[in-house]
Amino acid sequence: MRATTTLARPLALGPTLGRTSLVLGIGVVLVVAVGLAAIVVGTSGVSALDAARIVVHRLTGLGAVTWPQSAETIVWELRLPRVVAGMVVGAGLACAGTVFQAVLRNPMADPYVIGTAAGASLGAVAALLLPVGVIGWAGLGLVQALAFVGGLAAVTVVYSVARSNGSTPVVTLLLAGYAVSSLLAAGVALLMFVSGDRLAAVVSWLLGSLAGASWPRVGIALPLIVASFVLVLLRWRVLNAFLLGERAAAHLGVDVEREKRILTALAALATSAGVAVSGTIGFVGLVVPHLLRLAWGPDHRLLLPASMLYGAALLAAADVGARLAGGIPVGVVMAFLGAPFLLWLLRRAALDRSP
Amino acid sequence: MAPPRTRPLRPLAILPILVLAAACTTAPAATPLETDAATPAASTSVRPDPTDSQYPVTVTDDAGRELTLDAAPERIVSLAPSNTEIVCALGACDRLVGVTDFDDYPAEVAEIDAVVIAATVDVELVVDAEPDLVLAAGNELTPTPVIEQLDELGLPVLVLYPETLEEVYADITTVGELLGADPEADAIVTDMQDRVDAVVAAMDGAERPATLYEVFYAEGSTYTAGEGSFLAAMLELAGAEPVTGDAQGLIATEDLVAADPELILLGTASYDAGLADPDAALTAVAARPGWADLAAVRDGAVVPDLDDILTTRPGPRIVEGLEALARAIHPDRFD
Repeated sequence: MRATTTLARPLALGPTLGRTSLVLGIGVVLVVAVGLAAIVVGTSGVSALDAARIVVHRLTGLGAVTWPQSAETIVWELRLPRVVAGMVVGAGLACAGTVFQAVLRNPMADPYVIGTAAGASLGAVAALLLPVGVIGWAGLGLVQALAFVGGLAAVTVVYSVARSNGSTPVVTLLLAGYAVSSLLAAGVALLMFVSGDRLAAVVSWLLGSLAGASWPRVGIALPLIVASFVLVLLRWRVLNAFLLGERAAAHLGVDVEREKRILTALAALATSAGVAVSGTIGFVGLVVPHLLRLAWGPDHRLLLPASMLYGAALLAAADVGARLAGGIPVGVVMAFLGAPFLLWLLRRAALDRSP
Repeated sequence: MAPPRTRPLRPLAILPILVLAAACTTAPAATPLETDAATPAASTSVRPDPTDSQYPVTVTDDAGRELTLDAAPERIVSLAPSNTEIVCALGACDRLVGVTDFDDYPAEVAEIDAVVIAATVDVELVVDAEPDLVLAAGNELTPTPVIEQLDELGLPVLVLYPETLEEVYADITTVGELLGADPEADAIVTDMQDRVDAVVAAMDGAERPATLYEVFYAEGSTYTAGEGSFLAAMLELAGAEPVTGDAQGLIATEDLVAADPELILLGTASYDAGLADPDAALTAVAARPGWADLAAVRDGAVVPDLDDILTTRPGPRIVEGLEALARAIHPDRFD
């Protein structure tokens, strides 16, 4: 994996303060810029100026109310939770992707490739199809819980199948991920087949959409994703050690198996929290950490927070694009952006190998 | 013969018809919801309403939810064409401030802004319309998450999902109560009942041909009336023995051959102009794998160009759909 071992400077020294500020600074600027764009873009006639005024008014109480109540509802209850949800989900998926890529030492790993997302989807669809009475507040928590169980179970199966003699061959891992994902996708299809009048709900969820975002939903996902981010970031030394290989990591005093389980569980938590809000949205977790690692090196002190910022900005920006394009699902937009990137990645790797 | 119409295939437009044609016996669980429309939109148009005294009005919708309005709604958003037709039949078309892009009746609704575009509810546009009543559809035609979202935003939402003629009457009455148009609602319902009675009377003692109403056909998959569905009940009222599919209305070709329909009615939803012609329709149907030997095809009993909108849209004109079915099934008895 040339890509993961190309270091800008020795890993032990860590990223420079200047580089860190620059990378994270750009990330923050991107997040803010996308956030601003997202609250002024919409189908209704609320002007950009009013949208900005409303946000300032709600945050600070400043400014006279010169807009109709509906404009405030549109900006504060529809657009803002949607952009925040997009950012939270994007950050969570990018965080999970970063962890998977480090733990599996494989730039192709992301929640979608190794089965987590398929498992989370199956869990979430099962939750969606449970009797209508439990959907709602408790039901939303149930979607997250079953998504988490499904995601964790899937990645556990994939990983244990692919593992032999203390190592995890990449090809075996990807094939196992593919097989398990196919099985789980068949399970989802079966559930859809028997879903009857809930079919439309399942389909729109599977397409990946942030249209249903609301503060309560954000409120459930945000703490889960922040918690998994903090716990993962606290393990940056472990993640960096993993880059050297499991044996080297063990020599550095890392309890490899235990850490791997913990990190996988945290990544599954971030994935399922995101997936439960937005439905299935691929490629964020693959593209963002990979690009950032290529650009700025693999040190997780920088890579993790940067991935989250850029992942947040990317998904929120894709959602703005989705809304501008007439409300097509954001999952579709991400796939249009992500799949060509994946192909480019494969092509590049192929060229690197040729003499 | 009806003039050929150009009707491009619109998969999204067919979806609601498929859903309606399906049998859906699971009613959503009752989630009582008290929504006070305490702040009717600051509308400047003063509409003197002699029935204002009857407010607040509390009704129960088809999802089992209660809705209370403190005043007659002046800004109504309809999320389904059938709801639009009910409102307009009650004489309140001018109170509609949002409809769907599939709405086509009455003609004047074309002037109203669409808030449902390509079968997707644009919640932002709904809020922007500042409605004091939102008429949603059930059975996921208005997706449950959207209804939940509208609830959370504090909009008064009434879910209408009639699955029988009686429920269509009940829904018209309910909307009439909410709009302060009870007499109009009574008149519409009475007229519908009379016309349904006339159809039923005309079919008394008639032979009931096994009838396939084709909602949609593509690549060997045939969608017809679902078992126990509204459309199946309509066919029975119109003097037929419906050949039904599963809950979604899907019928396997083998089951279709076994059922051997004596009469095939083709809905308009998925057809090009060529199939409006009976001979062309018969030829096309006969060319499908396994269809040539069906009794209806052998006898040439294939009636094209049944207007799906009339036969499946659960609004005031559903009775016109019933009459169209009766004419197609028993032209000798009902004309």
